Amino acid sequence: MTQVIGTLKARLAVWLLVMVSGLGTLLLMEAYYSTQRAAERAFDSQLEAAALTTADSVQWEGSTPVVRIPPAALQILATAHQERVFYAVLDHDGRRISANLAISIPSAGQAAAAIEPTWLDLTQAGTRWRLHGREYDSAGWDIQDPVQIWVGHTMSGRQVLASELFERAIIRFVAMVLLAGILMLLAMRVALKPMRQLRHRLRRRQADDMRPLNARVPEELREMVEALDTLFTRQRESRDNLLRFTADASHQLKTPLAGLQSTSELALQSRDPDEWYRALSDVHDGAKRTSRLAGQLLSLARLRHVEEADECLPLDLRKTLHDSVLEWAQREVAMEHDLGLAELPVEPMIIQGQAWALRELLGNLIDNALRYTPPGSEITLGLNTIGNHIMLYIEDNGPGVDPEIRPRLFQPFERGGRQDTQGSGLGLAIVDTIAQRHAAKLQVKERRPRGLRIEVHFPAAGEES
Amino acid sequence: MQRLWLTTALVLCCFASFQGLAATPLVVEAALDRQVVAPLLAAFEQAHPGIELSYRDRSTLEVNALTAEADPPPDVVISSAMPWQMNRVNQGYAQRLDSELANEWPEWAKWRNEVFGFTFEPIVMAYRLDLARHMLPPQTHADLHKLLSAQRDTLQGKVTTYSPSKSGIGYTLFQQDARYTDRFWDLVTALGDADAHLESNTRSMLEGLSEGRYWLGYNLLGSYAMVWAQEHPEVIVQVPQDYALVVMRTGFIHRDAPHPRAAQAFMNFLLSRGGQRVLAAQTPLFSVRPDIVGPYTAQRLRDQVGDRLYPIPLNASVLAFVDPQRRDAFMARWQREFNRYQRTPETQQQGDKTHVITAP
Amino acid sequence: MRLIIVEDDPMIARSLYNALSPLGNSVDIFAHVRDARAALRNDHFDLMLLDLGLPDGNGLELLSELRERGDRTPVLILTARDGIEDRVRGLDLGADDYLAKPFSLVELEARVRALLRRSQQRSDNRLTLGPLCLDPTAGAATLDGVALGLPRRELRLLEGLLLHAGNIAPREMLEGRVFSFGEVGSNALEVYVSRLRKRLQGSGLCIRTFRGLGYRLEEAPT
Repeated sequence: MTQVIGTLKARLAVWLLVMVSGLGTLLLMEAYYSTQRAAERAFDSQLEAAALTTADSVQWEGSTPVVRIPPAALQILATAHQERVFYAVLDHDGRRISANLAISIPSAGQAAAAIEPTWLDLTQAGTRWRLHGREYDSAGWDIQDPVQIWVGHTMSGRQVLASELFERAIIRFVAMVLLAGILMLLAMRVALKPMRQLRHRLRRRQADDMRPLNARVPEELREMVEALDTLFTRQRESRDNLLRFTADASHQLKTPLAGLQSTSELALQSRDPDEWYRALSDVHDGAKRTSRLAGQLLSLARLRHVEEADECLPLDLRKTLHDSVLEWAQREVAMEHDLGLAELPVEPMIIQGQAWALRELLGNLIDNALRYTPPGSEITLGLNTIGNHIMLYIEDNGPGVDPEIRPRLFQPFERGGRQDTQGSGLGLAIVDTIAQRHAAKLQVKERRPRGLRIEVHFPAAGEES
Repeated sequence: MQRLWLTTALVLCCFASFQGLAATPLVVEAALDRQVVAPLLAAFEQAHPGIELSYRDRSTLEVNALTAEADPPPDVVISSAMPWQMNRVNQGYAQRLDSELANEWPEWAKWRNEVFGFTFEPIVMAYRLDLARHMLPPQTHADLHKLLSAQRDTLQGKVTTYSPSKSGIGYTLFQQDARYTDRFWDLVTALGDADAHLESNTRSMLEGLSEGRYWLGYNLLGSYAMVWAQEHPEVIVQVPQDYALVVMRTGFIHRDAPHPRAAQAFMNFLLSRGGQRVLAAQTPLFSVRPDIVGPYTAQRLRDQVGDRLYPIPLNASVLAFVDPQRRDAFMARWQREFNRYQRTPETQQQGDKTHVITAP
Repeated sequence: MRLIIVEDDPMIARSLYNALSPLGNSVDIFAHVRDARAALRNDHFDLMLLDLGLPDGNGLELLSELRERGDRTPVLILTARDGIEDRVRGLDLGADDYLAKPFSLVELEARVRALLRRSQQRSDNRLTLGPLCLDPTAGAATLDGVALGLPRRELRLLEGLLLHAGNIAPREMLEGRVFSFGEVGSNALEVYVSRLRKRLQGSGLCIRTFRGLGYRLEEAPT
């Protein structure tokens, strides 16, 4: 089942949002500080102008400097925001020649202003002030000491201007984000067009159309289309296999059914109860064989053609083996044989596997051994560790298999060159399929002095992961 | 029994309402004649029966001092000495008024939404009819200067104007005059040469004119002069034709006003249509609001005089006028110019020789 | 002995009836869950043969209802399904045994006998198989009514075999019964088994060895 995990658009939008908000925070922080700086610069230059205007009005009357504070300087200081204003003119010794407010200027500020024009922020009675101080070289006839000029104003205008500028920056930013979002949506539509086309193509396809897509797609989709094409190819092969298998299977089923039909037909023509008995006994065997064949066909078809969702879990192969052999030993078919279990290793034999499939594998191996060996034969199953592998084996002291036939042993409907048994020829094919599913390797060996040995080599659990 | 209950309830009700009425006092320190603004105060008391108004009529000097020193401080401070009012506001003695009326008040008549100019009073020249018999009455500042030079002997001792040292308004007006042209100092020299009498208020000048002591007055408060002229036909009021200064009475709510709500109510009343209409109709103070119709409105004055009205600006530049050094320098120059051709030092007025730095 | 068969396929039902009725049992056959449910409410049965795929429901539902009621009637599940899940679920729900279709009637009979014996033994403490009888409480075994006088270990071994009569008794289990921890040798159990074999000679019973798996006490093939 396909699980929908959001849309690509939503993902892109979320990423865009994350990036925009991240970048936006930085940009807005930058905007905040730059607007603060801009407002500060704008108003500081007013302070500077006011200070210079004031400096111009310093004159010496004998040995004292006199300031005729010009109204224009105050007007400049107040700015359009009608700030409260402050000015002070200090002589060389820091004494106030003139001042309009009792704001005290820190001595550090005075020292700094003696060197170069300086700026100060201070709070006086709950009001924030911005002060500017500079030294003015003014020379009288008697004394040539410099005077210090300090001007200042309250800061509401700066705040108003900074927040106005910041507001504008935010509006610009939001507009940009909206525009970028719209453009992004458009771009997504254009960029995702090939995907839409591919979707339409796939939707229009007939169920049994397994030809390659032959679609024109951008590089990013190439891999997906190739994977789809591979999938189609595999499906085609799988379907062909299934058709072949079905044909084989129906052929295999037809043979015993034909036997049943002819046997019963012959018996019905006869009046001899002995004949009937023989025929019935044949029919019974045939029915048994047919039903077994049907069961195995079903197993094989399911194993090969149905994707099992069962997960592989770690399990102890010793227990699976013990339980299976115990079960088979009690079956009627095993009555005539010596079916046994070799001494099992003490330590757990853990593999990744599906318990039911492994039971099926063991059942088919045992069933196979029971069928292709004469009554009284010894059949032994066991487990060993070989390096990283866990080796499961089954051996018998039966007639064995011709070395030429051994490679074909695991193909469906192969009976090891024998027609004398009730075997379907599917058992080992099932074993092979299950082994492949567990990444296990099958080996067929000759057993001395006589008999056959089949080994299944499982990778130990944890080795692969 | 029932009647007794009813009576008790009535008494309680009356008592309660009496308590409510008497609840809010309001202290207004004002440099504005009580007689002049009496109709305005009456209208306020009628509109706000819950406020007990205590209107204290003082000089500009006292008002300025009380703003900083009174304990408890006044709720509202009103004065015509604009630079000193501005100085107090700049020092942070005012609080913002953010009412709708305050926000709509014309920009040129307020500062920081803290101090509001609520009257519009032109500065005029006034002369006696006697003067017109001897010479052509002056219409401009230049006319005045020429007249003083040409008719110096006739006008000797018969000219009056404000004393810049005793009167805050006078000082402000001269400062503003001096800002416009340096020829103002020629006028001062001429005034000194004509042995002009320096008075501390308009009323004294008008009385002198009516009594015949003076023939010509310079820089009188037009509001008072116009009312005076209506009752004293021998006095003629002349709005200068080159430029006429305009002063405003300004008011602000004290930062530490003990009754801020009542103070806001008072200021809002001053700025309201109702208050301004009383100003325009029943006082000679001239309303600032352009939507008021009456004999005394800024609008009507503009219609009569044209664009030659130059209000003293309600902005930071007037703060320069209260700068002690600037004031000293101005006063020194005034003395120099006024006494340039002084022939009889005995007639010099003592007050103008000393430098009064602290007082408006 | 009353048996109930719940099976909708008439051919299988008939062959089951034919195979089981000669054992001296009365056999009731139902094709629907509904009918079987009613019968199980009203009567007591000694064994139920239960098909899973029924026309009006799943046999497993019937089984779980039965067990929820506390009815311990032995249940043998018959089904064409060879999926391990059904099998596990059936056993989890309280089925006693499981036989996948197609099955041979011989095997079916053997399973049915084993289940019936188990069902009987629940009411009777004695363990019996053919002529052999063991009373675990008395600690005595008899063969054809004659006391065997078995030593303690042989008695415990026989008890273990009888508990699994008809089925393989796992070697580990037998070792656990006969020996204390630590004293078990690789061939020790075989020694006691062969002693027991000797005693049972000629009784019609034998102990068959399953290499690596265990032993089964069974009726000797004639």
